[in-house]
Amino acid sequence: MSQFLEQIINGLVLGGIYALIAVGYTMVYGIIQLINFAHGEIFMFGAYFAFLCVTTFGLSFWFALPLSMSLCALMGMLIDFVAYRPLRNAPRLSALITAIGMSLVLQNLARLIWGARWRKFPAEATPALLTGNAISLPGGAQVSFLDIFIILLAVGLMIGLNRLIYLTKIGKAMRACAQNRVAANLMGIDTNRVITVTFAIGSALGAVAGVMVGLREVTEPAMGYYKGVAAFAAAVLGGIGNITGAMFGGVILGVAEALGAGYISSEYRLAIAYIIMILVIIFRPSGLLGKSTTTRA
Amino acid sequence: MILIGVVCLPLLTYGADRFVDLLYERDIVLPIPSGDYILRIVVQACLYMLLALGLNIVPGFTGLLDLGYVGFYLVGGYTAGLLMARLGWSYWIALPLAAIHGAIWGLLRGAPTLRLTGDYFAIVTFGFSELLFRVVKNEEWLIGGPNGFVNDIPPPTLFGYEIYKYWQQYYHILILLALTILVVYRLQNSRVGRAWAAIREDERAAESMGINLREYKSIAFAVSAAIGAVGGAFFAQFQVNISAGAFEFWESIFILCMIVLGGVGNIKGAIIGAGILASLGELLRIIPFGGARYLIFGIILILIMRFRPAGLLSMRQQN
Repeated sequence: MSQFLEQIINGLVLGGIYALIAVGYTMVYGIIQLINFAHGEIFMFGAYFAFLCVTTFGLSFWFALPLSMSLCALMGMLIDFVAYRPLRNAPRLSALITAIGMSLVLQNLARLIWGARWRKFPAEATPALLTGNAISLPGGAQVSFLDIFIILLAVGLMIGLNRLIYLTKIGKAMRACAQNRVAANLMGIDTNRVITVTFAIGSALGAVAGVMVGLREVTEPAMGYYKGVAAFAAAVLGGIGNITGAMFGGVILGVAEALGAGYISSEYRLAIAYIIMILVIIFRPSGLLGKSTTTRA
Repeated sequence: MILIGVVCLPLLTYGADRFVDLLYERDIVLPIPSGDYILRIVVQACLYMLLALGLNIVPGFTGLLDLGYVGFYLVGGYTAGLLMARLGWSYWIALPLAAIHGAIWGLLRGAPTLRLTGDYFAIVTFGFSELLFRVVKNEEWLIGGPNGFVNDIPPPTLFGYEIYKYWQQYYHILILLALTILVVYRLQNSRVGRAWAAIREDERAAESMGINLREYKSIAFAVSAAIGAVGGAFFAQFQVNISAGAFEFWESIFILCMIVLGGVGNIKGAIIGAGILASLGELLRIIPFGGARYLIFGIILILIMRFRPAGLLSMRQQN
């Protein structure tokens, strides 16, 4: 029983992290119908930026987190500007191949700069607030302060994002672009600006997830690939293009993965994400919350 | 001229080796790599050409992006490797069985994805190959070794002679490659090839013209997968020991990069692209900058898509 509770909490934390990454995939897909493979790499760079701020530059963690978010937002905008914008009107497969190329470039750049070795976030740089166990559950399961912090942060950011999308002018513009980019442009919305903002927001949220994974697990060049694929599966599960769907998809996938790793085999962690992703695409391509649409050519 | 060069390559490298030996006896040391080394790289390049031709069928002829081609390479490699190393079967039986096994997986993967287009198809193919990779890596009862390790795959025998020297392997892959080129060319210029082109240009229009999408897509998946499996079977006996690490996702992207470089759907382009990237990959392995291989492949993908979406060979840009 205590193992079950522990795995559920583990899954919720993982789910929060996946949700943070998945909204980046889903927002970009909603507007320009592109699977941004490089998003996982931005998440990885987020972890590295925070790691470097804390170790090399000796900054406080509470300063490193927003700094890493802004750097990643810049990076996301830059990637869009350099690689994706010139292909806006090209066949969609061209943009997809470019995104794969971008992912390769960034992942191997990280490997070249920082080496393939994983790094652990230094314990002395972790804020005192986030160390130690907070609550003992009945049966001996422990919940750490860090886990609670991650869940709260993810929920807070998701609520913030939701408010941004539904209550602000830029959010309205984003929703308009997601419905019909050409029509939105005709209505006087600067679609390129909206796309840039979308990339910035998605990347900043991805950076938060990266820093959290760096704190809880390790920082390594391959993390963007592993976590990125799982988060993408979460976005598909929730219905790609649907932001609320991505949040729920993340949580469901996180719990499923934690339970699967705990009870089946930890070697098959990722396999669970792949299987869910394939089943959803084959049987319900619109996802749990997505509207079923006619196929777009 | 080129053809004679291709056929006589082992003779040339043999001659070069003897020449270097002669000079060596006179204390002249030239920085020429040994003939065997060159042959090995050429064999690998030919193998990649074969794989690129096989992959080319799905994205190139039918317009569906396949991100999991390495899955069929894996099926072929393990089918042949296990049959030969564990059961002691002859390579000449294992090779066609591997091709058939690959084709079966191609159809199995194809069946549920027939309705899918674009990104969704790409994602399913990616997930499929990753699942196969994980199964091979973790299921020791199936493979008989950790990390999908199969060792001591015996060399194939022909008329009682074992084929294991590089020049023998060179002719071996050359014949397989020639057969593949023949098959692919004949298919492209046949009724099937024209149906594929119609599907690629406009699926719905093709269907309303009476082309059976299900049937023609399935043919493409099966042929493409079978060629990949043949490549895998060759790889297994050439490498002698195989492990799951050779069949990671990035290998699919490497092969995809080759056909993108040469022009998706272009047979000559696939061959030339594979030749360039396979040798480039080997060159980059020599320099200390080795970790940057995939960095350069990524840059190639981005630049080609940006400036030459129809490949290096194309004279003008395609819309």
